[in-house]
Amino acid sequence: MGSREKELAALPQVVDPPPRGRLGAWIERLIYPFRRGKPPEPRPATGFFTDTTVCIGCKACEVACKQWNQLPSDGFHWTGKSYDNTEELSATSWRHVKFIEQFSRESAGQFPALDILPGEPQHNRWLMMSDVCKHCVAAPCHQACPTGAIIYNEFENVYIQADICNGCSCCVAACPFGVITRSSMGGHSHKCTLCYDRQRDGLEPACAKACPTQSIHFGPIDELRELARNRVEELHRRGMPGAYLYGDAATETYSELHSFYLLIDRPAVYGLPDKPFNQWLYMRGDYGRSIAGGLAAIAVLLVVLFLQRG
Amino acid sequence: MQTNSHRRGHSAEPPPIPGWGAGDGYAHTTITKAPQWHGGIAADALLNGLATGLFMAAAVSELALPAVFTSVAKVAYPMALVLLLVDLVMLVFDLGDPYRFHHMLRVFKPGSPMSVGVWCLAIFSLPLTAAAGLSLLAALGHDFEWARRIAVILALPFGFGSAAYKGVLLSTNSQPGWKDARWMGGYLTNSAILMGCAALLAVSAVMGQAQAVAILRTAVIALLIINVIPLGLLFANLQPTLARLFTRERRWRTGVLTFIAGTLIPLVLLLVGDGPVFVFAAVTSLLLGSLVIRFVYVMIPHTKPSESRAVSGT
Repeated sequence: MGSREKELAALPQVVDPPPRGRLGAWIERLIYPFRRGKPPEPRPATGFFTDTTVCIGCKACEVACKQWNQLPSDGFHWTGKSYDNTEELSATSWRHVKFIEQFSRESAGQFPALDILPGEPQHNRWLMMSDVCKHCVAAPCHQACPTGAIIYNEFENVYIQADICNGCSCCVAACPFGVITRSSMGGHSHKCTLCYDRQRDGLEPACAKACPTQSIHFGPIDELRELARNRVEELHRRGMPGAYLYGDAATETYSELHSFYLLIDRPAVYGLPDKPFNQWLYMRGDYGRSIAGGLAAIAVLLVVLFLQRG
Repeated sequence: MQTNSHRRGHSAEPPPIPGWGAGDGYAHTTITKAPQWHGGIAADALLNGLATGLFMAAAVSELALPAVFTSVAKVAYPMALVLLLVDLVMLVFDLGDPYRFHHMLRVFKPGSPMSVGVWCLAIFSLPLTAAAGLSLLAALGHDFEWARRIAVILALPFGFGSAAYKGVLLSTNSQPGWKDARWMGGYLTNSAILMGCAALLAVSAVMGQAQAVAILRTAVIALLIINVIPLGLLFANLQPTLARLFTRERRWRTGVLTFIAGTLIPLVLLLVGDGPVFVFAAVTSLLLGSLVIRFVYVMIPHTKPSESRAVSGT
């Protein structure tokens, strides 16, 4: 795989010639977003399966993501509460390794006890999880985007076309996982592309490639689901009955995720919504109430107008 | 980060260690990210309602009672256009990349409230401009009454759409509080007509149109009372979030003051008198109360419980 990357890097790059003159540039800027290219042929859906039980918190995925996507530094400061100094996904951090510390009453000595799971033996553990865009099958960000900048690419991954996004932030408001962020530099929204450029060249995403424990699996989504279910069964057999998959299947209120997780504690502990909800389920009703509110006011106005006419 | 050795090293009175109790991990953090929508969006919500409401109030009144309202409406349409243009400029400059505003018109997505709103506003602005222009031409002696009427009728559904989308945009998302605000759209659209009628009443008062003032005064009083219903429903939707963010004292103080400014004072002023001074004071108070409601709402995702409690001194 490494040699293939070198081979690709040596290929000539194709760059469109710039428009001539200031007027040409202005016209180009106006009409460019309205041009439609030929959509690529659909390919098998791909995604991530993140097995949090084998994550060691090395942050190689964060570094690989930054390096490959040429994402700038976020600056550096100690959070002072854990090894998590990245804190959150952002326009410049598309991978975020989370650290959760759970220590039992015995080892804590005089400190307050932390009950890990009700009914389970107390033990010490660190939970770690490499967080990323969930690439939802029915993504609220995609539904919200008014410019069509957010699309599903041929791999059925949620992809932001950076040259189309105008930074309206509707996607930021819509995402229930707090993934998308508007950059303060360009004013556009950014998030994980699932290494679209690498996928097109037949490479796996940088984070999955860098992961030394195979916590991050990449591949066709059906294969990942099979792999994940087998892994859950294995963990159950090995005495971890609390292991389960998050986002591998649709619920009544949310679609399945193309980046799903194997967890061993409540989703909220990992900073994931316990029951993700797609607000678009309310949209018709909200429009109905909005129209009703306006029509009621117009009706009142009309009644007054006709009553006072005489 | 604590380790076992770290903990064993402490005596009976350990200093507080940051992050202790992190067994719940990220359970107490806000998962969603707040969009960079601040006071400008609150002002935008007000201007949008005022512009569309003024147009609709003028259009409905003129079409229903042309003998009374045509002269007032001819002043209201250019005013609505100016308000709409100011609102559009604010919307454009609120974008991360204002030079890409026209990208909004690349696609029409019925599932995106912003897309619906932008298209409604774009289409609405065309007949509104025509109606405003023809109203000004009429003032100069070139009256194309039939063309103006057609423009007004064409603008009506899109003006209504421009008013109706905003609340849906601000409730169909995952933000704390907003996601529960099922009546935000109902309140904003109802409030738009109320504010529009109030603005039209002010125009009528300035123009000395006694009959228009008398009719609109009754309408605004009725609408002020009616508007309490969607406002109360919206407040009920937001109550759990507001209770989490603000102390009971602060909620009551802000709520009562907003109700007094936005509903009670305008109501009393309009009941007491119909002179321009009363009307202007009532309209100003109504707009102020409406702005506060929109501001509090827009700022919910940016408000942290600890901050709000610290501010209130509890």
